[in-house]
Amino acid sequence: MARARRNFSITALPGFASIAVLTFVLLYVPIATLVVFSFNEAASMSRWQGFSLQWYQAAFENRQVRDVSIRALGLAVTASAIATFAATLAALATTRTAKFPGQTMIYALVNQPLMVPEVVTGTALLIFFAGIKVSTGYTGMGYLVAAHSAFCIPFAYLPIRARLQTMDLTLERAAADLYANHFQTFRYVTLPLLLPGVLAGFMLGFVISLDTVVITEFVKSAGQDTLATYMLGQIRRTVTPEMNAIATLFLLLSAVVVVLFFIVSRKRP
Amino acid sequence: MADRRDGPGSGDNEIEIKRLSKVFGQGDAAFRALDDVSLGIRRGEFFTLLGPSGCGKTTLLRLIAGFEQPSAGEVIINGRQVAGLGPNARPVNTVFQNYALFPHMTVADNIGFGLRMLGKPAAEIRETTERMLALVRMEAMAARKPSEISGGQQQRVALARALAPQPRVLLLDEPLSALDLKLRKEMQSELKRLQNETGITFVFVTHDQHEALTMSDRIAVMSGGRILQSGRPTEIYNHPAERFVADFIGDTNFLDVELVAVNGATAEVRLPGGGTRRATLPEGLAPDPGSHVTIVIRPEHASVTEEAADFEGTVEDAVFFGTDTHLNLRLSDAARFTLRRQNTGAGDGAMPEGSRVGVRVADGGIQVLRN
Repeated sequence: MARARRNFSITALPGFASIAVLTFVLLYVPIATLVVFSFNEAASMSRWQGFSLQWYQAAFENRQVRDVSIRALGLAVTASAIATFAATLAALATTRTAKFPGQTMIYALVNQPLMVPEVVTGTALLIFFAGIKVSTGYTGMGYLVAAHSAFCIPFAYLPIRARLQTMDLTLERAAADLYANHFQTFRYVTLPLLLPGVLAGFMLGFVISLDTVVITEFVKSAGQDTLATYMLGQIRRTVTPEMNAIATLFLLLSAVVVVLFFIVSRKRP
Repeated sequence: MADRRDGPGSGDNEIEIKRLSKVFGQGDAAFRALDDVSLGIRRGEFFTLLGPSGCGKTTLLRLIAGFEQPSAGEVIINGRQVAGLGPNARPVNTVFQNYALFPHMTVADNIGFGLRMLGKPAAEIRETTERMLALVRMEAMAARKPSEISGGQQQRVALARALAPQPRVLLLDEPLSALDLKLRKEMQSELKRLQNETGITFVFVTHDQHEALTMSDRIAVMSGGRILQSGRPTEIYNHPAERFVADFIGDTNFLDVELVAVNGATAEVRLPGGGTRRATLPEGLAPDPGSHVTIVIRPEHASVTEEAADFEGTVEDAVFFGTDTHLNLRLSDAARFTLRRQNTGAGDGAMPEGSRVGVRVADGGIQVLRN
């Protein structure tokens, strides 16, 4: 009896298997349906008529889809790169220095976008940027880049910080002891060891930027739709399997990045 | 960086420590890790900082390396004040307790790192790296990553890496503590060999008295951020000046005795048996005759005797250690005495419990303590 209790396992609870199966069904059946119907010959979302790649062809031939995809990818790469750079500096400053007063405060501030609801950030940015737009007349992509970069910083910060915290501080001491100056220590020791964390941070930021609808919707000017906001706009009107095809490709891209993220962050020094 | 013939020397001392203090924290939380320490480390010697954890030995090492800056006092290396200089500007290299090998570099790249940072030409780096690999007998492992070699091999690579830039001083922070006993013995003689071959001054930090006694030219025993005594291993062992030193190194008998007379560096003390014997006084100590002092007698400096006993004791028990047997005696209600008998093969050196034995202390085997 005592032995059984010591070997307590959650899988032994009654109903565990059924709940697990139900959870997976709820998670993956809608996605699977979406993917399956992207290959449907008919324009129907409920009736299977035969295999076809015509919706993919339609998506590729759709100029608008191409434009918003390129814009979304460009935005994601730029914003994520900026965010990763800022996050790396922030992570170095919060882990590689002696404890200073207000350190926890800074940690909270860096992670603020994780806590504040997106609509609040979106509204705030809308009002803030509107003022700048009026006074400068600039209406380019800069606003979206700025908004996405800021939003991606905590996502990039977390894996980089995690990596730094597990890194042995004596390695940097050893480099300094072997005549490396601050820059050389960073260049030859810290950065190579930090790289998996930096790449993981970049990819996380990339996926988050690609995915963000709310903030983009609030901040974008006319003609600045990203893939995500474009899809939202389309779906409001009619739902065609072309959207399924685009979503499936979107899913594929995210999956590839997530897999890369795992491969990169699993590597131990 | 460190041509051993350059720069002005300051006498025979490679390193001069002058009234060095280090305080961590502030106000009530302040901790004085190093308290007004002065010390000279001679050129080319194997110098050991010995003490329990928290005694300040590692802090002193870090102040020499430049990982910490002192709160007060001076560090002079090869006649040059190094205050304010970072570790990369000091002609010293460190072997870290956990080796701190760069995990993303090969063994060869680890060893060549210091020379690379000094901007040496590639040919010289390659040549020195090969020489260092040969010195620590790791030629076959040059292309391996640190994770692919054993702990003892990592230790050798860490040594080679620190020796490659030919520093004036090699600092070793408990480098053997992570190795098992057999490997540790091997590395002890390896370290001595490397020190003899390179002629570099070694400053070695350890809490292991055996390591300190067997390897060092000189030892400084530390406690509470201070150096209690420094000297050759035989001086430290045979003539400990303070109770802590006597207690920390080796097994010791402490006896409270009356001081009968003082003659310069020696004194006559009255042993429990009533007779007087000559004892060595710590440097600079001249107690008044008639005062009570504590003396130290090492267990192997006393023997069982039938005649001319200094004092007698009752055998409480005998513990067999293989090479020798420890005889635990009761001298009085308050005093105990342990005596070590070398085992010669005839019997086990034990005496029956409760028997009375006479004890004779060897000449020069009695040391008076400062406190």
